[in-house]
Amino acid sequence: MIDLQNLTRKFGNLTAVDNVTLHVEEGEVFGFLGPNGAGKTTTVRMLCCLIGKTSGEARIGNYSVDTEANCLKIRQMVGFLPENVGLYDSLSAYQNLDFYGQLYEVPESKRKENIEHLLTLLGIWKRREDAVGTFSKGTKQKIAIARALIHDPKVLFLDEPTANLDPEASKTVRDFILDLKKGKRTIFLNTHNLDEAERLCDRIAILKTKLIAVDSPKNLERSLYNRKTIVHLQNVTSSITAAVEKLGSIKNVRVSDNKLILDMDNPEKDNPEVVKAIVGAGGSIQYVTELRSTLEDVYLKLIREASVQ
Amino acid sequence: MRLWKSWIVTKKDLSVFKKNKYVLYSLIAMPIIMGVVLPVIFIFALNAEIGSATLTHAQVSAAVNQIVGLATMYFVLIPAILPSIIASYSFVGEKIEKSLEPLLATPTTDGELLLGKSLAAFIPCMAVTYIGAAISAIIIDVWSINTPQVGTFLIPNPYWLLVIGAIAPLACIMSVEANIIVSSKVNDIRAAQQLGGLVVLPLVFLVIFASTSASISTLLAISVSAALAIADIALFYLSKATFQREEILTKWK
Repeated sequence: MIDLQNLTRKFGNLTAVDNVTLHVEEGEVFGFLGPNGAGKTTTVRMLCCLIGKTSGEARIGNYSVDTEANCLKIRQMVGFLPENVGLYDSLSAYQNLDFYGQLYEVPESKRKENIEHLLTLLGIWKRREDAVGTFSKGTKQKIAIARALIHDPKVLFLDEPTANLDPEASKTVRDFILDLKKGKRTIFLNTHNLDEAERLCDRIAILKTKLIAVDSPKNLERSLYNRKTIVHLQNVTSSITAAVEKLGSIKNVRVSDNKLILDMDNPEKDNPEVVKAIVGAGGSIQYVTELRSTLEDVYLKLIREASVQ
Repeated sequence: MRLWKSWIVTKKDLSVFKKNKYVLYSLIAMPIIMGVVLPVIFIFALNAEIGSATLTHAQVSAAVNQIVGLATMYFVLIPAILPSIIASYSFVGEKIEKSLEPLLATPTTDGELLLGKSLAAFIPCMAVTYIGAAISAIIIDVWSINTPQVGTFLIPNPYWLLVIGAIAPLACIMSVEANIIVSSKVNDIRAAQQLGGLVVLPLVFLVIFASTSASISTLLAISVSAALAIADIALFYLSKATFQREEILTKWK
């Protein structure tokens, strides 16, 4: 649904986006992670045909972001939530959505239906005639999301959807995005909220002008270190350690207090064998856990490496 | 260009202006000042001229024509001044409210947005100009038919029709376009208004010239119309070149 081939954007001597190549499948929730100034917003702006590219290719569906005619078609098929909500404070929630619905060429009856559906879903229908200026930040953000969805777009670009929101408003917005995920809509989520990316996204790209990594949150977490299983025992003996070391699936065994820390490739498959071996050697297991690196660990490591380069 | 798209933008802007007291009061004040206060001042001036026993009938007629002509000329200033208030809200206001980015992300062309926003500034300015002109015409005509030395309707006359029908809208278009250009270079509404207001200066000189010349001819009005039309065309191309969505998003601060 979204294809980038060596996409590059320069502003004078500054390269904001450098040779980014990636593909986002239809119905996928794709997270774009990176620090401030990494080129996330510039990329989204190029994909929404708001600014041009310096070189490379970018396509949304069957349309390349180059000609004005293609850009009009792309803008019709995408919904865009910018970092700043940009609503008209003096107009009501309904008027704001109705205005955008008209610009997106949604027929009047469908427009009314969509506005009612979205505002009801977001719990704002009763306040639809209130001026947007009277709403809280969180509610404004919800209206801006409704605006991005008013024409039922195939692709949704969300730029920092929970930035500056309190935890409750953030949760409401996140839950709403999770609901959208069920609708088979392609969602491109710009964020530097790692927790949000982990919860919402099928895959994540880490960007710092250049693309550093692209994978599922789980695979990224596992990419940093070998997977480790920790076995908590009442007492660790040399016979237990020897029994575990004999297993071919274990790459390394380390003892720390009453814990065995085991490096392994496939814990789901090999943990039962490990448990059997320990019990066979007379060990008494209290519990078994997995030691994971977090997405934050991975993100920080990759960004620091990119900064050094 | 899809005019209906531009009209959607115009309607939205007009709704926003209706709720902006500063814009609303400015729009209401202008026809009151130009339509009521100025004609009354001119009537006092005319009464003083006519009341002078030394004036011949020809001199009275010339004085009446000159002052009525000058009163008419003021209706060139209203549509030139008001866009600096409205158009500055229309463009810089959007930038300040950060509402331009989602607007530019809609399937609307630069030309459609530009026309929609220009119309939103043009329509209310011309509406209050015509309301002011109508009130002014009624006041002057009521006075003139009730004044024995005049005894006839003074307005409309060809010169008045030319000023109200051609010069005023052309001056308004010029002001709207100049304000669009100014808006693309500043980030503050007051700065936009002040710089945008500079476009009125040539028209102020025109009014001063008209007030000092012996007679205000229809030929002068035609010449001014032609000059404004040329300026409008030049400014249109300049404003179109200035209104680039990439420039707006990346360079407007």
